[in-house]
Amino acid sequence: MKSPPFEYHRAGSATEAAALLGELGFDARILAGGQSLIPLMNLRLAAPGFLVDITHAPDLAGIGANGAGLHVGAAARQRTVELHAETLAAAPVLADAISNAGQVPVRHQGTVVGSIAHADPSAEMPAAFKAQGGTVTAQGAGGTREISSEDFFEGYFTTALEEGELVTGVTVDAWPSGTGHGFLEFSVTKESWPIALAAVMVHVDAGTIDRASVVLGGVAEVPLRRPEAEAILVGSAPGAEVFAGAAEAAAAGIEPLSDSFGSGAYRKKLARVLTRRALTTAAERAGGAT
Amino acid sequence: MTVPEVRQHPEHLEWVGKSIPRVEDPKFLRGRGNYIDDYEVPNMLEVAVARSTMAHAKILSIDTSAAEAVPGVVAIVTSENVTDHVNPMPDFGPSPDKHTWYCLAVDKVRYMGEGVAVVAATSRAIAEDAAELIEVEYEPLEPLTDMLAALTDDAPLIHEALESNVPFHRKFAFGDVDGDFAAADVIVRDTLWWGRSGGQPLETVGAVADYDSATGMMTIHVNSMSFTHFLFLLANTLRVPSNKLDLQPHPSGGSFGAKFFEVKTATIAAMMARVTGRPVKFMQDRLDNIANGDHHGSDRYYEVELAAKSDGTLLSTRYKVVDNYGAYIQFGVGQHGNSLAQAVGPYRMSSIGYDLTAVLTNKCQQGAYRGFGSEVGNWILERMVDLMAAELDMDPFEIRRMNFIQPDQFPYFIPTGNVYDSGDYEAVLKKTMELSDYKGWRKRQAEMRAEGRHIGIGVCTCQERSVFSATEFWFWFDEPVAAPVTSAPESVTLKVDAMGAVTATLYSNASWGNSPETMVAQFAAEELGVKPEDVSVVYAGSNQGMPATGPGGSRFTIMVGGAVEGAAQSIRAKAAKIAAHLLEANEDDLVWEDGGFAVRGSPDQRKELAEIALAAHMFKHSLPEEIETGLEASHVQDHPYTTMPNPERTNLGVFYPFVGHASHVVVVEVDPETGRVEFLDYTAVHDCGTVVNPRSVGGQVIGGTVQGLGSTLFEEFLYDEDGVLRTPSFAEYLIPSALDSPTLRVGHNETPSPYTPYGVKGGGEAGRMMAPSAICAAIDDALGIRIRRLPATPERIVEMVDAKD
Repeated sequence: MKSPPFEYHRAGSATEAAALLGELGFDARILAGGQSLIPLMNLRLAAPGFLVDITHAPDLAGIGANGAGLHVGAAARQRTVELHAETLAAAPVLADAISNAGQVPVRHQGTVVGSIAHADPSAEMPAAFKAQGGTVTAQGAGGTREISSEDFFEGYFTTALEEGELVTGVTVDAWPSGTGHGFLEFSVTKESWPIALAAVMVHVDAGTIDRASVVLGGVAEVPLRRPEAEAILVGSAPGAEVFAGAAEAAAAGIEPLSDSFGSGAYRKKLARVLTRRALTTAAERAGGAT
Repeated sequence: MTVPEVRQHPEHLEWVGKSIPRVEDPKFLRGRGNYIDDYEVPNMLEVAVARSTMAHAKILSIDTSAAEAVPGVVAIVTSENVTDHVNPMPDFGPSPDKHTWYCLAVDKVRYMGEGVAVVAATSRAIAEDAAELIEVEYEPLEPLTDMLAALTDDAPLIHEALESNVPFHRKFAFGDVDGDFAAADVIVRDTLWWGRSGGQPLETVGAVADYDSATGMMTIHVNSMSFTHFLFLLANTLRVPSNKLDLQPHPSGGSFGAKFFEVKTATIAAMMARVTGRPVKFMQDRLDNIANGDHHGSDRYYEVELAAKSDGTLLSTRYKVVDNYGAYIQFGVGQHGNSLAQAVGPYRMSSIGYDLTAVLTNKCQQGAYRGFGSEVGNWILERMVDLMAAELDMDPFEIRRMNFIQPDQFPYFIPTGNVYDSGDYEAVLKKTMELSDYKGWRKRQAEMRAEGRHIGIGVCTCQERSVFSATEFWFWFDEPVAAPVTSAPESVTLKVDAMGAVTATLYSNASWGNSPETMVAQFAAEELGVKPEDVSVVYAGSNQGMPATGPGGSRFTIMVGGAVEGAAQSIRAKAAKIAAHLLEANEDDLVWEDGGFAVRGSPDQRKELAEIALAAHMFKHSLPEEIETGLEASHVQDHPYTTMPNPERTNLGVFYPFVGHASHVVVVEVDPETGRVEFLDYTAVHDCGTVVNPRSVGGQVIGGTVQGLGSTLFEEFLYDEDGVLRTPSFAEYLIPSALDSPTLRVGHNETPSPYTPYGVKGGGEAGRMMAPSAICAAIDDALGIRIRRLPATPERIVEMVDAKD
């Protein structure tokens, strides 16, 4: 379990990182916390010729919230974001997602943006990001652009990033007061990979759900939005029957793959159970906030 | 050998029984353990093994040209020329010439992960780079992983020379099985599967080999291998004279059986050392260890029948067992000897039927894993007793209690011929019920169930056999393949230097994560009146070594205890002569107390061990003529209680005589929608005779229980029907962490063995032998299901719940 040879480059800023990516070409990869990439290299499942380390770029380390949402820089460590005073208020589902990811020592190394950019469809942070909604800031030789969380994830470990672009940060959009969130995952052991997860948000106004977001992880090639479930929720009063119906709708039509942790059918069942439970929690929290 | 003498154990013990801190801890906790991967020698190369990507395939050609061109690569040996360098591996299997095993695959690969080439290079990374470039052309053969399919006529053959996939089949009857079944009122039957898991030490197996072409000496530093008295087998594999092989033991970060007689790693390192003329390190990585470590655990299918009277009296058990050994069968069917050693559990049953079929398939082969197969036997028996309890509508505690062998029945011979030396099972059960608050939990369970929660309580009462005899290697056969060996020794040397300081030299493995040095220090302190922390413990290489078997089958503490006792007796005998001379007293008038000899009735007239030692070392010519300089003694402890099997093999003799006992009570809450099992409470009470160190035995119980939990709920080396290993790393092969584990209440009961020093019985495999039975019973109780297959993964639990609805 030793990595193939590679060349290490350290970028001092986002601009320098983008320039390095352009110069080194397709065989270069961004190194942030390294909690996914390095094991893949050691298992020889990834063999980039060049690594561009962005964790020493001061302009990528920031975390900050305003009324519109929470901004997380590409070098910000998961544990720093998790414990940041503004994260819980502005991006509660992301905070929950981080707490469920890996163990504390792993989160001290790993970055939130790195996990999102890695785009593992089973991972916590991509699903939470998509559930709450927001934008990805990408920077390449030609400048920066914004990509919506809806458009960012394209397939297994595949995103809308172009060659030569890196993610410099993400912004998670704030939801208004009266919002509740739920994040639940199932893993066979407490520390192993989640095999299904549900990240949900509901906003309740005068006893009626007027906005809902339901995203599943681990069941498809991307963190999967479930519009059919959202349609059942919006316009309904929160309640067990509505949540069961929405959960049923969320799991209907998905065709998760089987692996050593469980079959597709089991994952589908988990998706339904976790969605129902996450919605129940979310509605309770939404009620508490109003 | 006949029955050994019953011992009178001393009433007062100074050190045995005390929870002294482990004497190993300071070096390990400070990173000074001298683990094999920290061991470096100048000019050393490292190797990587290119492993088969196919489960079953003929090797057509191997192209190493690209690999050889990688800068830093020194030598490559492949399947095509490995037989030029080494002989087959040591093999205790039924017919080694028909399922021949080399350190690399020869002619064909028989499981995914089997080595096809080995690269020696200036670093491990370079060796891996080169290994990746080796091109192997395969002709795929039909893969075979299903053990029942392996028995069919049209199954592909794993070893053509064997002409079937069954290296061993035999039907044993111990006692009047048919008569007991005919006399039964109730017979319960079931089909059960035990999945393949394995020990997962933090540190994998490693070896550093150095061949001196001038002297012909092959020196191998290793963290694996018991059985140093069997090393001549490895010498044969390596084609070196047995007196030119020296193994230097290094401590390892755990074994749990998985380093028991792991000789392949050392063989590969030694082969490459001779090929390159340079020292060579082979340190398995986790992928090597999981796919190609030769120590997967039992993988069994059972059809079982249990016969009883209508009042719950158990009569007999009939087993039909198929065991999937994988591609080779290095230890034969020894794992079943472990089951047969305690086949009736703690219960009075007068007969056992055992129909055993070993099959070969395209999986990595089995080795040892904590319990060595007896944990499976325990689980099967306890599953059947639970089934009988349900059939007769009896309390699971009550059916066990009423069938217990009673304290006045020991030594108790079970139908297979093995003896249980001593026990008090009811005392253990009573303690367990109290410590677990069993009655309180039953009450709380009813309340919690009323709230809609799925709470289950499970109980088990299981045996832990200890100290195997070598007869277990061959009593399977009418004519043993190799010699009918009977030796399974353990040795120690004690030296008291001129300053009176004590050094103990051990001759088998260095620490395996157990506490061999603590045990020896406590015994030596007890015997010689010194403090345990003042005893220096060292390990000798095999070439200067004495016969030793090492840890395995929960034997080490008992055997080394006997070795220390014997060596200390010799030292005291010599010391008495010297003391008598120094005190001008008659030797018969001396008494040994508090670490010195005193004249009986005149306690002021005494010589401390240190004074005697100084005289022994420095003043030869002041002492009687016959006393040689020095104060040192060695002792070889042979197996204390072995008897021979009968020719018909209807009685296997005594082969695992010191039998501990334990009872566990588990309380779980299960989520029927996800299959998640949460532990609400866990109590384990063990009786391993006299406890040498309650703290270290407690650690064994906790660790073993957590491993049992893993084997029960999720650990499995999973091969699909194409022979693809789906769990190649810890990302997929799941092991429990502290977060998945209950906090254990551990209790000890002490029923000393009449036959061992101080009355100690083995406790090293405790926990794993019991946990699966108790946990399954608890889950069954929570959900109203019956677990028949391990691991009982969350998905399988959900399937059982759904099937019930």
